[in-house]
Amino acid sequence: MVKKVRIIVAVILIAVFGYIAWTSFGEQMTPYVDFAQARQSHKTVQVIGQLVNGHSEIDPSTGELKFTLREENTQDILNVIYTGGPKPGNFEQADKIVAIGRYENGVFVSNQLLVKCPSKYQGMDYEEGHGDGV
Amino acid sequence: MPYIMKYILLIFMSAVIIAAWIVEPPQSQLGSVSRIFYFHVPAALISVLAFGFALYNSIAYLKTNEIKYDFRSASSVELGLMFCILATVSGAVFAKAAWGAYWNWDPRQTSIFILILIYGAYLALRSALDNEERRASLSAVYAILAFVTVPFLVFIVPRIYPSLHPEDTIVGSGGEMQLTGMVAVIFWISMVCFAIMFYWLYSLQSRIELIVRKRLKEI
Repeated sequence: MVKKVRIIVAVILIAVFGYIAWTSFGEQMTPYVDFAQARQSHKTVQVIGQLVNGHSEIDPSTGELKFTLREENTQDILNVIYTGGPKPGNFEQADKIVAIGRYENGVFVSNQLLVKCPSKYQGMDYEEGHGDGV
Repeated sequence: MPYIMKYILLIFMSAVIIAAWIVEPPQSQLGSVSRIFYFHVPAALISVLAFGFALYNSIAYLKTNEIKYDFRSASSVELGLMFCILATVSGAVFAKAAWGAYWNWDPRQTSIFILILIYGAYLALRSALDNEERRASLSAVYAILAFVTVPFLVFIVPRIYPSLHPEDTIVGSGGEMQLTGMVAVIFWISMVCFAIMFYWLYSLQSRIELIVRKRLKEI
């Protein structure tokens, strides 16, 4: 009987601990804010989204890179200007792009970009469309 | 561990290291930097195995009160932390090459950082208790509670928050295997090698701790 009670208490404790872990970590787990928050914030933030139409252009006078990001969940659109230098490698192929910067005068000014590569780890064969499927 | 396993490990680990460098890189767009995949992912997953060993041994200790399970649990946590740190460092190097920054608190980076803190606290707890039985039972309870966070931090967090870390690389969302061809062969042999290496270190470390305890009692 005592043993049974102990096991029940242990299971309850573990459940409570798991619930606290689940809920309290929540927001702190991601450094990325959504576009709506980025517009209101005056601090440096990180936003994550997909490149719209695979399109970007470089301003010939300033050398700045201009492109638009779309947020996955809300479909919200954000115009970004990247001032941190040349276009990163794999920019067009990126699954997602993270821009680190600040929203100023209707545009998100970023000085650092991070790019996410597709998660296919299947060698060169896959890319050429004839994976051997072993 | 059987003697012959050490030679099998030597041969297969060498084969994995050589194959990882010779065969085409696993991720075509990233090129050669993606070869670290064969070592980074097994290190991270073996840490989960190690924390699982700590859970098992902690339950065994609470059931039997045999001190050897306590030492096995401690050895598992120490090795789990070592593999976590290997995964974090190799991941940071990989992130610099693939994303453009060593560290940006991506969900996967935050979650492994918290995991290291949680299991680091286990070692701090142990070092603070002198009484052997008290230390064993308290740290067993802690190790069981700590493991509750592992599935959440390792498998769930990176999938519910947007992340730069690739997801569903090994196992797809429908449970299907994603790797094909030589990438799959090298990866799974590497996983088995990491698991054998973990078990070898684990049995050595557990025995060392028991011997140290015996010697300390003799003094």
